[in-house]
Amino acid sequence: MFKRYELHNHTDQSDAKITCRELIGIMEKDRVDCFAVTDHNTTSGQPIIRKILSEEDHKVKCLYGMEYTTYYGHIVCPVLEQYVPWDSINRRNPELLFEACKKAGAVTGVAHPFSYGDPFARGCRFEMEIKDFTNVDYIEIINNPEPLHEVNVPGILWWEDLVLKGEKISACAGMDLHTFKDKMAKKFATYIEGTDDGDPAEELRTALAAQRTWVSSGMLVTWEIKKDSVRFALRNMKKPGAARSNTYTLTLKNRDGVREFDLSGGSLTLPLDELSDIEIPKLYAGEPIPENLRCVAPVIRK
Amino acid sequence: MNELYHVEGTLNRGFVGQITYMVCLEKPCDKLDIHFTFDKRKRKYAPREATPERIAETIEVVRRDYGEEITEERAREIILNDMKTEIHTLATLNDEFIGCIHKQLADRHMLYDGEFASEGCIPQQKIDGVLKVTVLVFNVIKDNTRYQLTVSAE
Repeated sequence: MFKRYELHNHTDQSDAKITCRELIGIMEKDRVDCFAVTDHNTTSGQPIIRKILSEEDHKVKCLYGMEYTTYYGHIVCPVLEQYVPWDSINRRNPELLFEACKKAGAVTGVAHPFSYGDPFARGCRFEMEIKDFTNVDYIEIINNPEPLHEVNVPGILWWEDLVLKGEKISACAGMDLHTFKDKMAKKFATYIEGTDDGDPAEELRTALAAQRTWVSSGMLVTWEIKKDSVRFALRNMKKPGAARSNTYTLTLKNRDGVREFDLSGGSLTLPLDELSDIEIPKLYAGEPIPENLRCVAPVIRK
Repeated sequence: MNELYHVEGTLNRGFVGQITYMVCLEKPCDKLDIHFTFDKRKRKYAPREATPERIAETIEVVRRDYGEEITEERAREIILNDMKTEIHTLATLNDEFIGCIHKQLADRHMLYDGEFASEGCIPQQKIDGVLKVTVLVFNVIKDNTRYQLTVSAE
């Protein structure tokens, strides 16, 4: 089964206008399987949500994390149960903090890397110089409140560039939820494979380790390699408020460029030898332009 | 509450980094209040101070860092409305994290007791040992930005 994760959310424990209880309610109402609490530089919401979920009957699961909000960018950790100090943050050696977080069992992601920073909002743009991505689990390629062309498209392109250079980094999305006004319909979420009774943090770690994450606004494109071919298929996650389309285009991006295929019929099979060693599948509703993006699927590595 | 420590200081324009104050609690406490204030959070400049030089500097920064061309009016708007002095306050007790305030309140309290803590903070059953308060300075817009820190306990 596929599970929908919302990996980036705030409460009034940092700068949001929603309480921990309200965050749980928003997630349940939108039929989210698992959400993370990722307040700016504080874990104080964690015990509050733990208490509510342990004392009451809620279907939604929670991951307990934090968003490191530093002078040089944000590192979102949907899992961070042990606080790791960041006062030795070094813009030119951020690997130290990523490594310390991973040693503490955290899941690490670069949040909204191309967000506007100084002079608009110092620290929001990711200005750290990462040379070794070993301890970076994912890049938040879509931060839903951010503008598509100015912030999210550069994020997607950065991730694609790293993947095509051989880095094994997953792609995820974030709501960056702060208020009731942040509507989730038509927005991108992260989907992973899991089981009914699976541990949500472990399932996320497994998905990230295998780079098996989907960034989608509701329709997934899945792929399966069978002997000499690869079969692509559409899968509707029935995300509330998701936009529908009659036509779908699959694109495959490799080091040589981008190829387009009509996936309106719901499935497509390609000979395996037509694929290069790394292919990035993306799904569009109609013409493959950023506005029509519906899904970024796990990278195919032959 | 009894005042345990009080400090006042000034920050220079452009400073990025943190200042940590350590307070050794002489005896166990039931309640703790870390009170921090700073000035000139927003409205860096009065309208008359959005000079042609500052406007030109802002246009150049946006061009260099974002590849965007903005008008003089937009640059003026950024100077007067967007840019702000931004400071967070973080506390640890015996090197354990007990809270951080991210909300840009120019006057803020980090309050603790066994059952309650203010937003961003974690209630503490045992308030004893070594308290560290760190002032995390993200952005200082103007020279001589004043701040005050007071630690009180009961």
